[in-house]
Amino acid sequence: MTRVKPCCTIVTVNRRTFLQLAAATPLLAGPADEPVYRVVSAYKPASQPGMPGPYPGLVVRVHSENSIDASSGKVNPELVKQMISSGMKTLTGDARQEDAWARFISPKDVVGIKVNCSGAPRIRSSPEVVAVIAENLIAVGVPAKQIHVYERFDNQLQTVGYGKYLPAGVNVYAAETTRESILGYDPKTYVETSFYGEQDTRSNVVRLVSETLTKIVNVPNLKEHQASGVTGCLKNISYGNFSNVARGHNAPQTYLGTFIGALAAVEPVRSRVVLNIMDGLMGVWHAGPFSEMPRFRFYPKQMMFGTDPVAMDHKLIDVIEEKRKAEGAVSIFDRSMSHVGKDNSNPNTNHYIREPGHIEYASKLGLGVFDAAKIKLKVIEL
Amino acid sequence: MLLLLAALPALFWDGAADTAPALRDAGINQILVPAARLASWKSVPGIVAEAADLEGAVKLPPPTVNYRINEAAATSAPWVIANGWRFIRRPGGRFYYDVTGKQAALAAAEAFCYGANAMIRTDAAGLKPLAAMLDFLRTITGEPLPPVADIGYIDDGSAASGEVMNLMVRDNLLFQLVTAPDRRLKLNVKLGTREYPLEDARNPGVVAHAVRFHLTDEKRSLRIFGSQVVVARLTATPDHVRLHLLNYAGAARKVEGIRVRVLGGFPKHQLSLADGAGVELLDYSVEPDATEFTLPELKMYAVVDLLR
Repeated sequence: MTRVKPCCTIVTVNRRTFLQLAAATPLLAGPADEPVYRVVSAYKPASQPGMPGPYPGLVVRVHSENSIDASSGKVNPELVKQMISSGMKTLTGDARQEDAWARFISPKDVVGIKVNCSGAPRIRSSPEVVAVIAENLIAVGVPAKQIHVYERFDNQLQTVGYGKYLPAGVNVYAAETTRESILGYDPKTYVETSFYGEQDTRSNVVRLVSETLTKIVNVPNLKEHQASGVTGCLKNISYGNFSNVARGHNAPQTYLGTFIGALAAVEPVRSRVVLNIMDGLMGVWHAGPFSEMPRFRFYPKQMMFGTDPVAMDHKLIDVIEEKRKAEGAVSIFDRSMSHVGKDNSNPNTNHYIREPGHIEYASKLGLGVFDAAKIKLKVIEL
Repeated sequence: MLLLLAALPALFWDGAADTAPALRDAGINQILVPAARLASWKSVPGIVAEAADLEGAVKLPPPTVNYRINEAAATSAPWVIANGWRFIRRPGGRFYYDVTGKQAALAAAEAFCYGANAMIRTDAAGLKPLAAMLDFLRTITGEPLPPVADIGYIDDGSAASGEVMNLMVRDNLLFQLVTAPDRRLKLNVKLGTREYPLEDARNPGVVAHAVRFHLTDEKRSLRIFGSQVVVARLTATPDHVRLHLLNYAGAARKVEGIRVRVLGGFPKHQLSLADGAGVELLDYSVEPDATEFTLPELKMYAVVDLLR
């Protein structure tokens, strides 16, 4: 695989220092320049940040052939419950699932469940999976009212209808009830950069994340992504937690190689994402994150568990690459402009040059382990 | 136009005097009429009429936003049709709008915040929005403050130069016209120089981008975050900044939240909103060198006074 060496500058400052530094460094970079990211946050890292957390390099994969019916898309909730229980116990080494959850969450926590609805309603964090996660949080003593299932866009969230599946009292929240409204974002916590000369150079963190939540359980899907290569743990907690991010891929050559990691590393996101549960019951191997074309859906019938988003996303790359190879599609690491085009109904045509290197880049920011030799995969078959 | 109407944009109405009830119903009580109709309007109670004519006045395009959803373009940014550059280029000029419906109100606000001498011709649907906006504009009191400029722009009078000015206005790059470089300003710009070659002006966006690059965002007196359709006009004395905010999509939709950054520390503020009862500035923050706040809702026009 060809790896592109991403390069950029990240300057992390508190708000006061930021304003002092601002005059010294031109922010506006030309499109050909490497981006300069200015992180403005008053939040301090936790003593042990959630990422990579207590299990760096460890990925647990639980596969169950009957977890989803590929012909109807119907999920088997009982098997999902068993998969999550098994995944959590294997990840932590605990015999009881309550003990496993209690390693990450205490009854005092206010917990966000970051779902992914960018491909909803066709593909999304399965409500059956999200419901089991909420039940486990309640089982360790978190009151339902302190649990928030959240996503950026209300119109996407509404298509799923999580409320019907969740325990009573669990909140469902969208940062943007109206598209492009900034009111659901924290004006004082943001990453500032210019990619293509856009006027709005800030991407602000979801206000719920910075001001309310103390812990986050990240529940991405298992998908290829037209711009980032794959969209898994890192993409869901970066693009899914900040405003004004689509500006990072306004042209075939994008800035996602570095932007995703830069966002994911921002406090308090980095500290509060304590657990990643990747819902891979269904997947998308081309034209993601959407799922407009059924032929690009597939059914890996698996879930992955870990605290290390980099290691998990590395395994996600492997799944997507294997599937694309089986389908005769070019690698997500392909960078030929001859494969860039508007008609992505052809699996060898894509709107962008993909940037799966964002995962390796995130490892350089300390978010996890990318080196395949250092990643330990535990596979459970149910 | 007489002194009575000079401070505000005015409705130019070429209807006969028997249309007076429609004007009264809308709340219009001052109008400009063609000279030929003046005599008949003079006898109409409750409406003050003065003679004016559109000849010699520059017709302005209706202020609006074209989202160009079905058009392939180099940018996804909406196309804002703003007239600020025309007012700056011809500060003593006479202008008129021919607008319909709510655009009449936006036109009035646009002309007002540039202090432009503008008439507004509109249809029946535009009367009430216009009257409401004129009522609001009358509440914005105080002597006009001088405009804030970061950039001195040497205008050669060409169409290309005008379009560069247009893009600077739309991008909230604050400039004033100068005839020669002014060292008191942060940046001076002239087309045809090494930094701003004439050939670049074929794509004025390139020039506006270069201006922004050379100025740097950090030195900009004003930044707007969260909307691509809000254009601001900033005026100030050392202790008092007046910020005019125009939502160019305001005839169709409100903007839900913009974050504003103004250079300088201003602990006190007062918000005046056209059609925005109960709205207050949020997350107001005063740093040593800048003041930031969120305006949670902008229907069409707001004025924010910042004070030391």
